[in-house]
Amino acid sequence: MKSIAFVITSPPNSNLTATAINMVTTALTMKIAVVGVFFYQDGVLNGSQHLALPNDEYQAHQQWQLLHHKYNLPLHLCATAAEKRGLSDDINDNQATNVHEAFTLSGLGELVELNVKADRLIQL
Amino acid sequence: MSISEKSVAIINASAPLSNANAKDSLDVALIFGSYEQAISLYFQGDGVYQLIAEQQPERIQQKDFLKTLAALEFYDIENIYVCHHSLNQRGLAEKFSIENVQVLNQDDFATSLHHHQTILRF
Repeated sequence: MKSIAFVITSPPNSNLTATAINMVTTALTMKIAVVGVFFYQDGVLNGSQHLALPNDEYQAHQQWQLLHHKYNLPLHLCATAAEKRGLSDDINDNQATNVHEAFTLSGLGELVELNVKADRLIQL
Repeated sequence: MSISEKSVAIINASAPLSNANAKDSLDVALIFGSYEQAISLYFQGDGVYQLIAEQQPERIQQKDFLKTLAALEFYDIENIYVCHHSLNQRGLAEKFSIENVQVLNQDDFATSLHHHQTILRF
């Protein structure tokens, strides 16, 4: 397998998200190209700037941010799903944002592109 | 972007109105359809309720997104499969809100799914 993409529909407090992060990390360590991660449904909550998980719990959102900065991993939030959940990069029309800078707001078309580019698309 | 040789299957396993899975799934199907990607829809478990006609979502303050199912054929989404076992378990007749729906037994349902390179589940 040469390349892989992920669809994340699980929120940051889900164990599935931790599994997804492990899979992405392992793929990158094994030099498998991860063409991108698309966050849909409750998965978009991973991109919130204001997540505050208890200190002794797994910090899923920080792991995504780390993967983005270390490997330049593209993290796409479905814009419609994000707005439904209060996440926006244009709050009150003044470009204020509560989306973390590691994430990009994208359309569903981005999911189609990831599926075309990657040999495998995996949903968690 | 080149046209992908891969085909996508979407498994719909949720009842239509208890959460947004059915609507979110339909949005994904229509996007793949509008990008002319090969896509098939599978209905299984409580997902089979999505194809039952004459539902009244407005009675629980939901928009009638189920009528959008009729648009599938305009997006060339013609491979629509329903699990016979799931219908049976729920006492539902093979009567659906859209045409061109194929009812498959569990083995054929599984075999048919295996022909796809990408599987999404809602």
